[in-house]
Amino acid sequence: MNDLMTDARERLVARARREGLETVGYRVMDSPLGPLWIAVGPKGVLAIHYGAEPDPGELGRIVRTYGPGLLPDARRADAVARELDQYFAGKRRTFDVPVDLSPLTAFQRRILRATAQVGFGDVSTYAKVARRAGNEKASRAAGQALGGNPIPIVVPCHRILASDGSLGGYAGGLDAKRRLLQLERGLIPPGGWPKKPARQS
Amino acid sequence: MTEITTFADLLERHEREIFAYALRLVGDRDEADDVYQETFLAAFRSFPPPRRGQERAWLYRIATNKVIDRARRRKRLVRMDDLRLVAPERDGTSLADLSAAIKVLPAGQRAAFVLRKVQGLEYADVARALECSEDAARARVAEAMKKVREAMK
Repeated sequence: MNDLMTDARERLVARARREGLETVGYRVMDSPLGPLWIAVGPKGVLAIHYGAEPDPGELGRIVRTYGPGLLPDARRADAVARELDQYFAGKRRTFDVPVDLSPLTAFQRRILRATAQVGFGDVSTYAKVARRAGNEKASRAAGQALGGNPIPIVVPCHRILASDGSLGGYAGGLDAKRRLLQLERGLIPPGGWPKKPARQS
Repeated sequence: MTEITTFADLLERHEREIFAYALRLVGDRDEADDVYQETFLAAFRSFPPPRRGQERAWLYRIATNKVIDRARRRKRLVRMDDLRLVAPERDGTSLADLSAAIKVLPAGQRAAFVLRKVQGLEYADVARALECSEDAARARVAEAMKKVREAMK
């Protein structure tokens, strides 16, 4: 996109934001785990998706909740991008940005809230999360809910392991889960990992 | 082509051509920027597009009306000085000659000419963009062509 078009789009998005037409702003940021697609709505962060494009199911959920007013808006997603950068650099242990779980089912919300209680550097299990969410026997369902966590990293589902201590699953891939756990044990190079952009230009 | 479900889809798919169209019609970057913004804001306000698969013609219709409204408000012919920025040279005709020729056209014919001959829309889409019949769109383009040829003699 040339400068003329970039400037025009920025002004358009700013006007749409001021007029309340934009309900959700998104951006793509580079991270050590590859590009992350981030969406922020009126109540907080709605999605952090591994990849440069949103997951269609997730996008559908956002549109059903907040309508079609989704626009590329780096400014709106700046705060969460900044906090993620600090986290990947080993300079942040908790996130201050609010998260919005309202597009999810009540069960998913309970599981993710229980997951959010697991602190930096700690780990837990699907069974314990299910118990904390009020349904001890629902560890498999807890695993599914965590597999559909729309806000990974900030809602730290990477800290949840199988009962036998194995990694279990992770939407960003097991390598990403392993690296996040290493990061939280302080096993990162000085200055953090290099960013892995979507594509080299 | 996948369905347009968000403002971002509309923007990603059509913003460049709508900006280029506005620039070709008004000939001034700042004014084209205004038309582009007014067009998309109007589209966002009345989202979704009235007919599935016809959002392109819908956007051109909004943009055309914005340009015509502005021309009427200002009651002046538009400049085409900035045409060179986005329009490729065609058929050995210099852009300066073409822009000078287009200048003489009234707003409706100018829009029809640019939609068909520069943006490359089918007559059915030109008609939708200009809210007229296909026959009327053909007539406008033909009349515009006649005037452009005369102006370029």
